[in-house]
Amino acid sequence: MRRKNVCTAWFALHFLLIVSFSCRDTLRLVTQGPTILPSSFKDFSQKAEGIASIALGQRLAASNPVRRALTTYLHLAGIETGYGYFAPNVPGTYKLVFELHYPDGRMEYELPQVSNAAAGLRVMSLLDQIGRTKHDALREILVKMLAQSVWREHPDVKTIRAVLESVTLPSVREFEQGKGASNQVLYTYEFSVSEERNEPEVP
Amino acid sequence: MNRISAPKEYLRAFLFPTGTDSWLTVLRLGLGLQTTLYSLSLRNDWNYLLAGTSGLINRNLADALLSVESRFVPRLGWLVALGEHVGLGEGTVLSAAWICLLIAGCSLLIGFTCRVSAILAWFLHLCAAKSGGFVSYGVDNFMTIGLFYLMLSPLPDRHSLDWHLRGSRPQNPQLLGFCRRVLQLHLCVIYFFSGFTKCLGSGWWDGSSLWRALIRPPFNVIGPEMLVRWKYLFPVAAISIWALEIGYPFLIWSSKTRKIWLICICALHAGIGLTMGMYLFALIMIVLNMAAFGPGLICVNGARISLPRWNALSSTR
Repeated sequence: MRRKNVCTAWFALHFLLIVSFSCRDTLRLVTQGPTILPSSFKDFSQKAEGIASIALGQRLAASNPVRRALTTYLHLAGIETGYGYFAPNVPGTYKLVFELHYPDGRMEYELPQVSNAAAGLRVMSLLDQIGRTKHDALREILVKMLAQSVWREHPDVKTIRAVLESVTLPSVREFEQGKGASNQVLYTYEFSVSEERNEPEVP
Repeated sequence: MNRISAPKEYLRAFLFPTGTDSWLTVLRLGLGLQTTLYSLSLRNDWNYLLAGTSGLINRNLADALLSVESRFVPRLGWLVALGEHVGLGEGTVLSAAWICLLIAGCSLLIGFTCRVSAILAWFLHLCAAKSGGFVSYGVDNFMTIGLFYLMLSPLPDRHSLDWHLRGSRPQNPQLLGFCRRVLQLHLCVIYFFSGFTKCLGSGWWDGSSLWRALIRPPFNVIGPEMLVRWKYLFPVAAISIWALEIGYPFLIWSSKTRKIWLICICALHAGIGLTMGMYLFALIMIVLNMAAFGPGLICVNGARISLPRWNALSSTR
């Protein structure tokens, strides 16, 4: 009987967290998205998301032990995110191209490369995060890390220019009219050998 | 008094149905296969994706960001630091972690040292998923969920090697039923919110989101020239997807609709795997579904292998 009570209590907490975080992430999608809901819903969902975050301790200081304990459990159980995959709409994608400039004036193009499709899905996930992050510093650090990995493969390169592009996918009608995906340059970064060597190490 | 105790008893009966361990066998075998394939799929890129300074992305950045949230979430940095104490280099530790994960997956497959293997697989996979946070995606999330439940479940099951080697006794049937119920309810939440968030987007009504999902690199396994021939089916298929997901928590419980719903959901994931190249994602979702709702539908040697009756209340009294 005691074991049942413990199990029931754990289940109640666990399930409450799953549902609460799913609700919060859904409200966040409504706030960020375009959705089919009237625009007046955005204000409501923004407020509701804020209330849900407060109730779940997500607005407490990062050092707060309650928040830390909760966050730890969420990560251990794999329930720290919602389940809005490809929702409410399927976004475009991102492309990162490295222009490798050699001392003799030669130039080559390089893309982030891995050995198989399974790892390729992970690299695309990385590019999506680089493209979507609102933090310029984080984006630059991530691009620089990728540039460093390219540099290791091509040590004789003088400068690397990284171009991050957003890729807009065509609609069915546009595709039938012969239009393909269109790219738009979002950010460019230049890294030189001297800068690379002088850069402080990333934490 | 009766009014108060009736809902409580109902809830208890729902949460603790008497069950066999057939679902646990499916979950163990499925997650063993998943962990093994996951490890093998990353055999050439494991060190490259998860290295500290010599890889694609500096793992220390993901570990540092994770530390801001919590210092107690497992990460590969712990293992690397531990290895340094005994004179092992980062590459050696990462390779050892990969080998251990592969062994844990294989052990789960055959059912050898089930509990230890489940804990090891959960821990190492979590380390990799968190330290490789920038290169992780949905499959990692669902593997963590599955391995977390497997680790907490009453192992070993009767089809495991452990059972035969150690002559284990049958587990508490109500505890088995409880663990299965948690997995079932979690899946219901997952599908409901997945379907609900999709139906909020106009693209999931007119089919454009499905088209975009299928032509979006790296999911563009099928060429757009071939896809465009089926353009009239996109709205129907897109609506069917979110309707199937939203309907899951309501129609998976009834014995009349469970079979067709389970088949449709598994077919949906198989379709995602084949048309978008997300084989590991498809496998983990099929494994979780089959473990949660499969036993009782599948017949072995002409006999059903799980609950004789689905109804939670009738099965506990």
